[in-house]
Amino acid sequence: MGFRLYKEPKLVNPVLVACWPGIGNIGIMAVDMLRRMVAAEELGDIESWDFFYPRRVLIRDGELKDLEFPDNKFYFKKTGKKDLLFFIGEEQPTDGRGVYAEGTKAYRMANLVLDVAMRFGCQRVYTSGAAVAPIHHTTRPRVWVVPNSKDLLDEVKGYENTVLMSEVEGRDGQGNITGLNGLLLGVAKKRGLEAICVMGEIPIYIHGFPIPYPKGSKAVLEVLSAALAVKIPMDEINALIQQSDSEIESVYEKLPSEIKEQLDKLKYVVYAKPSEPGPITEEDKKKILQEIDKLFKKDTGRDQF
Amino acid sequence: MSEGKSFKLFTRPKFDSSTVVVVWNQDVGRLGPKVADYLARKLDGQELGEISPEGFFSLSGITVEDDIAQFPESKFYRCQNEDFVIFRSDIPRFDWYGFINLVLDIAEKYFKVKHIYTVGGMVLPSAHTTPRTLLSVVNSAEMKKILSKYDIVDNMDYETREDQRPTFSSYLLWAAKMRDIPGACLWVPVPFYLMTVEDPQACKKVLEFFNRHLELNINFADIDNEVAEQNKKIAQARSQFPELDGYISKLETNLGLTADEGEKLVKEIDELLRSSH
Repeated sequence: MGFRLYKEPKLVNPVLVACWPGIGNIGIMAVDMLRRMVAAEELGDIESWDFFYPRRVLIRDGELKDLEFPDNKFYFKKTGKKDLLFFIGEEQPTDGRGVYAEGTKAYRMANLVLDVAMRFGCQRVYTSGAAVAPIHHTTRPRVWVVPNSKDLLDEVKGYENTVLMSEVEGRDGQGNITGLNGLLLGVAKKRGLEAICVMGEIPIYIHGFPIPYPKGSKAVLEVLSAALAVKIPMDEINALIQQSDSEIESVYEKLPSEIKEQLDKLKYVVYAKPSEPGPITEEDKKKILQEIDKLFKKDTGRDQF
Repeated sequence: MSEGKSFKLFTRPKFDSSTVVVVWNQDVGRLGPKVADYLARKLDGQELGEISPEGFFSLSGITVEDDIAQFPESKFYRCQNEDFVIFRSDIPRFDWYGFINLVLDIAEKYFKVKHIYTVGGMVLPSAHTTPRTLLSVVNSAEMKKILSKYDIVDNMDYETREDQRPTFSSYLLWAAKMRDIPGACLWVPVPFYLMTVEDPQACKKVLEFFNRHLELNINFADIDNEVAEQNKKIAQARSQFPELDGYISKLETNLGLTADEGEKLVKEIDELLRSSH
């Protein structure tokens, strides 16, 4: 078990941008779009069968032809300055329990990703995810940034439209980043690499929607493209935002009026100071999420074959 | 792989080669477990060894099913016919690939496995009066040739749907293929209203195959009685309850049932067959 490299390009000071799916697919959409926009080439992959349950069986004429596992691929792009390495995982490895990576498999995967990055001389890692925040879907999401070392604080403060955990209401600089997008920061620190997680905000009432939230992805994409000094056209993501806005609006309209009234308060909140009460109470939050859950019910299960 | 923490053999078997049949306790119409029990009973199956649940199953407590405490079990049985091994197990919750590899490691190293089969039921919206068919998915041309001598539907085309995942049997078959162990998954469609109880007809279909293929000389009088008994009970219920008869008649003429009708049928048949056990 390990990784396979299809080629061994010579890279100059490569920066790794790694991502796995998470809430609203915010990080993965941003990172995958960045990878496509810079036209990164396939570099290799992680052998998936020890990490994941297969996702698809292919039977032809009564013969099992293939069993597909989630992809975990590396890509690279020579930029002439800081080259880019990408890692995109289609699923988070778990020990069988939840959606987010945990346990020995997650730790092994994080190390494998860094093994490949370090093989090419990488010293800086970015991961990306979502930050569930008390914001309205019509407002511009910000990006929460978490570095894995104090030395990086000044740099990340300079990124436009970002906040540190200490600047987020009621957090006092504390928090956690679930799954591999967070774990990789810790493993990178252990191995002496700089790492920064950039998390696009997603409204608290939308994070339960089974649809992506491209507005949050765009915020991440803007931060990453500035940090990596690559210019990215935004036409594609803007079109996705337009589409998702109309989907969200149609769901929003189906919510009971008392819930909508509560949510509309979020339009006028920038960020409450820590001393002020939040615009929505915990009780409101619970009620809102229950209503949203009712709108989306979906079953998945094992196949016939 | 070494014997100890992950598995234990109760006896030291000597095999020149073997056929290994794998069944999962979580199966539609209890097909796999029933086939395993039946073969073990008829062929004087003896416990050969077991895989430890540690690392593969949640050991934070026990589950209770039909009032009985359950604990995960993964056991190998050797049948009187010396080159025939049954592996009966719960489907692991964790480290699926590690579990499958352990099963195949043991099968290769200790039982010199030549062919491997899995047995499973698949839910079909059909009536119990429809004759059962045996379907196969093989992992090699060699296996396909072996099975071509039997009355098996062996030309399926299939792809997993977006919202589903392959069965654990397909996973095992794929892993066997990686090791060049010829194998096949044998499937029998089970009428959906028998999925929570038992389907002796489906069971017999699989047993007939092994009986012929491995020359086991099994007399099926007992399972024939079981089939007749089940059919009789359902026929009596049909004559007493016109609604139930209507549902089954619809299925017999290839008409679908609504979700409500389907649920009612499952409930009625489940109550009927469980209460008479």
